[in-house]
Amino acid sequence: MSSANRSLKRAPGAYVFYIAGVILLGIVVAAFVVSLFWTPFDPNATNAGAKFIKPCLEHPFGTDNFGRDLLSRVMSASKYTIYISVAGVAIALILGTIAGIPAGYFGGYTDKGIMLLGNSIMCFPGILLALVAVAVFGASVTNVIWALGLVFAPTFARVCRLGTMEIKELDYITHARVMGVKPARIMTLHIFPNLVSQLLPATVIGLANMTLFESGMSYLGLGVQPPDASFGKLLSDAQAYFRVAPWLVIFPAMMLVFYILGLYFISEGLRVSLSKGGK
Amino acid sequence: MQGKAGYFVGKLIELIVTLLLVSLLVFAAFSIIPGDTARVMLGPDASQAQVDLLRTQLGLDKPLVVRYFSWLLGILTFNPGTSYAYNMNVGTLIAQRLPVTLGMSAIAMLMVILISYPLAVLSARKPGRLGDQICSVIGHVLFAIPPYVASLLLIMLASSVFSLLTVGTYVTPAEDFAGYVGCLLLPSFAVALPKIAMSFKFLRSSIIEQRASDYVRTSKSHGLSDLKILVRHVLPNSNVSSITIISIILSDILGGSLIVEQVFNLPGLGRLLLSAISRRDFPLLSGIVFYLAFITVLLYFLSDIAAAISDPRIRLK
Repeated sequence: MSSANRSLKRAPGAYVFYIAGVILLGIVVAAFVVSLFWTPFDPNATNAGAKFIKPCLEHPFGTDNFGRDLLSRVMSASKYTIYISVAGVAIALILGTIAGIPAGYFGGYTDKGIMLLGNSIMCFPGILLALVAVAVFGASVTNVIWALGLVFAPTFARVCRLGTMEIKELDYITHARVMGVKPARIMTLHIFPNLVSQLLPATVIGLANMTLFESGMSYLGLGVQPPDASFGKLLSDAQAYFRVAPWLVIFPAMMLVFYILGLYFISEGLRVSLSKGGK
Repeated sequence: MQGKAGYFVGKLIELIVTLLLVSLLVFAAFSIIPGDTARVMLGPDASQAQVDLLRTQLGLDKPLVVRYFSWLLGILTFNPGTSYAYNMNVGTLIAQRLPVTLGMSAIAMLMVILISYPLAVLSARKPGRLGDQICSVIGHVLFAIPPYVASLLLIMLASSVFSLLTVGTYVTPAEDFAGYVGCLLLPSFAVALPKIAMSFKFLRSSIIEQRASDYVRTSKSHGLSDLKILVRHVLPNSNVSSITIISIILSDILGGSLIVEQVFNLPGLGRLLLSAISRRDFPLLSGIVFYLAFITVLLYFLSDIAAAISDPRIRLK
């Protein structure tokens, strides 16, 4: 047996990644779901008498420079982090699919044109493009979502294009074509469903990468606008006080990393189980 | 066209077309901005005559096509116009800030290569062993920490545990080169961390894959030592994938350092970019965006060339 196969056997199985990923992601999603109905305190209520309280029973994550309860703020911040990443990936997924499948199916100049556009978007360091888009059209949650969706669309377009190029050579597509099925119908009903297994890992990893970008933009003050906050904004607010109140950095950072790491673990699990199934 | 030269010429044409398209995208993005630039600059109190005068001075009254070509000419001759906010040549402003961003990216890239290569080689020797598994788990975690969060944590660590660092002081390379490198070390490390993990992961799996191939078994049966097989056969074959990865990593590092500069208070392109954004200084903004994209495209081009040189099979595709 070759050493690559051996290493596959000895490497942690997909389920280890799934369990770890679901636990980490679950913590953040649970915080989000609970925050919809209840937070310990009003996340934006200031309290001059309760500034910089260390983590204790009443305030498990402590309080910030305005006496706001950090646990409540972290819980409500998870809402924006999750919302932006999910909505942004949805846009990227839709745009990428619409551009990628025809590119792969028709080939030729359609393909060249679409790929040239996609490649030139990918030429910009992603965060730069998103920052500029938000700068030009103004910083708001909606604009951040659209900017990130556009920046990430070429990644999905690539996955769709490559997948389509493989699938369209299969006999059942040729058969459909010979039967006179219209290209639009072939692409939506016969090709797209078969791309799902390839799009799934890309979507999960896209969620994680988009969160990295969004939190960076919010950290720079070009994402979610105050008084609302995502994890990135909490961290940028906390930076000035990290000597007096390190917990202000640690807890939001922890939740942010839990979310991203959870997604990475799940995508790793998908990768392992798909590669095993494939071979 | 055939052979090496044909491949390189093709790539060169691709580079030029991409750059033109990038310039078109940048120009288009800044032309569809809502609001009259001259009006924004002068404020609501200015008279229409003043606004019109400024529009003429800025060339905003000319047709779009003329403006595009004059902008393109300017940007290609490193004279992309005057910044509204600083009242200085955009090229000069960018050149002043470039040493920070490029220096950080270069140091970070060195760190990525120097740390991930040896670790990947060691890890891939005995895949599945404890050391390999520990490296992989740490790699996953590092991968998930955004560079600016890593910066914050590193600053906290450095100031509380080692109390050695003066964060936010920047020394120009002309003053004191060692000091310049010194003040960029920590930020570069923060940018490099997730990329070390990424490069480690790809390199490791590439080496494992190569080691399982037939030619390694043949070399082994010919009595070559493990080290020789590694240096002569496995690493050169892993190079191609690592060159591609490195170009992706470099572009990420460039983007990452824009944010990390802000955490460490370094006067680099990131800071210039943010100030251009907040003051709606569009000549400066479009200059920064174009030149950063230019650097990225050039990196991709160079990595394609490097990959083609190290693996002739790519040229034949």
